[in-house]
Amino acid sequence: MKFSVCIKQVPDVAAPIQVRGGELVHDTGRLVLNAYDASAVEAALVLTEAHGGEIDLVLAGPQAGQETLRKALAMGADRATHLIVSEEADLDAATYAVLLARHFDETGHEVILCGKQAQDTDAGLTGAMLAEKLGLPYVTNAVRLEQEGDTLVVTRQGDTGQEVLALTPPCLVTCSNDMNDPRIPTLKGIMQAKRKPLDAREADLPGAPRTRVLGYENLPEREPGRVLDGDPADIARQLANLLHSEAKVV
Amino acid sequence: MSILTYIGIQGGSVRRASLEVLSQCRKLAAAQGLAVEAVLIHPQASDFVAQVQRYGAQKVYTVEDPIFEQHLNAPLVGALAAVIEQAQPRVVALASSEAVKDVLGALAARLDAPALADVSSFELTEAGVRARRPVLAAKFIARVEAEGQPVLVSVRAGAYDAEEAPAQAEIEALPFSFDEAKPRPTLREVIGASGGAVDLSEARYVVAAGRGVRDEEGKKLIDELAEVLGAAIGSSRAVVDVGLFPATSQVGQTGKVVSPDLYIAVGISGAIQHAAGMSNSRVIVAINKDADAPIFNYATYGLVGDLYVILPPLIEALREAKG
Repeated sequence: MKFSVCIKQVPDVAAPIQVRGGELVHDTGRLVLNAYDASAVEAALVLTEAHGGEIDLVLAGPQAGQETLRKALAMGADRATHLIVSEEADLDAATYAVLLARHFDETGHEVILCGKQAQDTDAGLTGAMLAEKLGLPYVTNAVRLEQEGDTLVVTRQGDTGQEVLALTPPCLVTCSNDMNDPRIPTLKGIMQAKRKPLDAREADLPGAPRTRVLGYENLPEREPGRVLDGDPADIARQLANLLHSEAKVV
Repeated sequence: MSILTYIGIQGGSVRRASLEVLSQCRKLAAAQGLAVEAVLIHPQASDFVAQVQRYGAQKVYTVEDPIFEQHLNAPLVGALAAVIEQAQPRVVALASSEAVKDVLGALAARLDAPALADVSSFELTEAGVRARRPVLAAKFIARVEAEGQPVLVSVRAGAYDAEEAPAQAEIEALPFSFDEAKPRPTLREVIGASGGAVDLSEARYVVAAGRGVRDEEGKKLIDELAEVLGAAIGSSRAVVDVGLFPATSQVGQTGKVVSPDLYIAVGISGAIQHAAGMSNSRVIVAINKDADAPIFNYATYGLVGDLYVILPPLIEALREAKG
């Protein structure tokens, strides 16, 4: 099967981030491949290694995104398209969906994979928006992906259990990071990635987004808690009392 | 003009989170002179109308079809889009769940409507909706705005209280039709219902297990503690990965978001990915032998020590307290 994996470059959530004047400030400025998208790339690699096929990447984002595309190429994808947008551009999920849908209208597509959400916004809208725009059947929040001949068998994490669904390409699947542990690129992979085709082009933005971020705030501070230390039986008893008489939850 | 609330049904009853959202919509609608409406989509949707009336819906749309026995995104998007076309609301509010996350983006694209996902609060503006939503693994709050009509908003569980306010609702049953020829995923099976007797996302009490719970003996202690409290069982990714607890029990950025009255984190270190799913709980108890574990930053009460030694007397003490 031919896989097209949509990836996004996001701030490293593990690095220190602060709010200053309503803006998020990333002290290290480190940008990384969205972890959920890394699982989507890994899923495509596992299936193409087992059954053959190829993997295209597509990323919409500023110039700096090229580094992230190279990283995913180094994991083993075959080629990449970079839809370049200005650093200042305000992009919401619907904007990404439009940019990606235009891209796939041009290039064609068989199986499109995305991360189930981006680590910076945690919204999880773009995948299903893209599927709808392209008129594709889709499955979100996949925790397992298998290929049976021409059919993809996808297990998604639902509210009360895991739903096993079969779908035939063309289709779209959004991947959970619970699906796999994405590989770390090898040195050989990194060297090869430098020679892989990367088509970079300016993207036309589709008008002003209808959702936008007005500003960021820190979470309201929790009242500092109380630490109970000492004899296990004692602190267990103390806790039961506190839950009953102070917190009044039990 | 109205605000429309989608009422989710799970395990044969209305989700509490949907009633929370309906309660908030009722207040917003009253302040703006709007009607508050609800939609039920289920094979026996009309069975749930009475319950929705108790929470103040003035009009209830029902869509009944056997296809809604199981969650499937294509028919649900179709049914919701048809109801929204009919109702022409200013805002559509949905309590967030895996089912809602599955359809929100597609619904927004089909209706060409702006969407705000997983907000912790929202209000109406002249042009649309203003909301607050946790971002970056719930480390920060983003203040966001959407302009358009309708605006779709999904709301995190526990954001509002469910309050009864009985109303006599007009009921409108809408027909459901579905293009069988259009390609869509086919459901082969649903594996495993959620662990524990109490549903996690609806629970008042949650007992959650992390890496410190190493084996069946630890799992048994978790089960006992949950049973004494009547709690649902949650978990961190570590114990799901090793197969001790089912994936449906995972709490966090990639799992469920819970906000119970009491959350007891047992042997959980409290990585931000986990905290993203539980930091909004009212009272948090952390039990961990590492006094530097980040979970203690969230804890109302922190107990430093070995869970295998602390849990037996705690279970005993709670059993006595509950009398």
